[in-house]
Amino acid sequence: MPVPSSSTLTVALFAGMAELAGARSVTVAWSGGSVEDLRRVLGVAHPKLIPLLERSAVAVAGKYAADTQQVATGSEVAIIPPVSGG
Amino acid sequence: MSSRSPQPEMLVRRPVDGQRLLEQVADQDAGANILFVGTTRRTTGSELTVGLDYEAHEPMAAAALERLKVEAIERFALTSCAIEHRLGWVPAGEASIAVALSSPHRREAFAAVEWLMERIKAEVPIWKCEAGEHGSREWAHPGDMRGVAAGPAATGGPS
Repeated sequence: MPVPSSSTLTVALFAGMAELAGARSVTVAWSGGSVEDLRRVLGVAHPKLIPLLERSAVAVAGKYAADTQQVATGSEVAIIPPVSGG
Repeated sequence: MSSRSPQPEMLVRRPVDGQRLLEQVADQDAGANILFVGTTRRTTGSELTVGLDYEAHEPMAAAALERLKVEAIERFALTSCAIEHRLGWVPAGEASIAVALSSPHRREAFAAVEWLMERIKAEVPIWKCEAGEHGSREWAHPGDMRGVAAGPAATGGPS
């Protein structure tokens, strides 16, 4: 396991979210907080993600997380925009 | 075949092989065998689609498909079930997904296919990008995902 940074969080992006950001991931300043806090931090750092972010789920360690869930630094986090498989 | 994997890949980057899935779920105690094949539509609205590009959060999608398969087998008392979803470029008219299942009874088998497809389309982290004939590319992000994290209600519900 790589040693997680104590002050940043890298968030994986997919599909239209990655397209909006122009990157497969973004890194934000993070010292801990809830999923709801993370949504806010992401929106401030990347305002153009906001409309899709508001309709997206957040996955922590490969599982969909409620907005109240705490996200530790070094967590594996992904934004899951509305899915369209099948 | 000694090289055959006991846990077949559910996410593939080659054409979906529905017939093979059907053979995989065949069982002498199952009287109903269903193969559902979802293909990419050529028409969405007014523009012609040349194909769809599928992307996934692969570890999550593989885990979700496996969990849904197990849940479908329990919920509908299926004999066996196999799912394959294609990723990457899928030309119009080709299969993006196949669900094969076997059951002692027809009714449960049909209900299970419908239930599985609904769940896959609602919660498995796979996305399609529609490529139009005039070079357009658009990711499909219908609806709202914030409900999926709400807890047991997101994975329960009536069958």
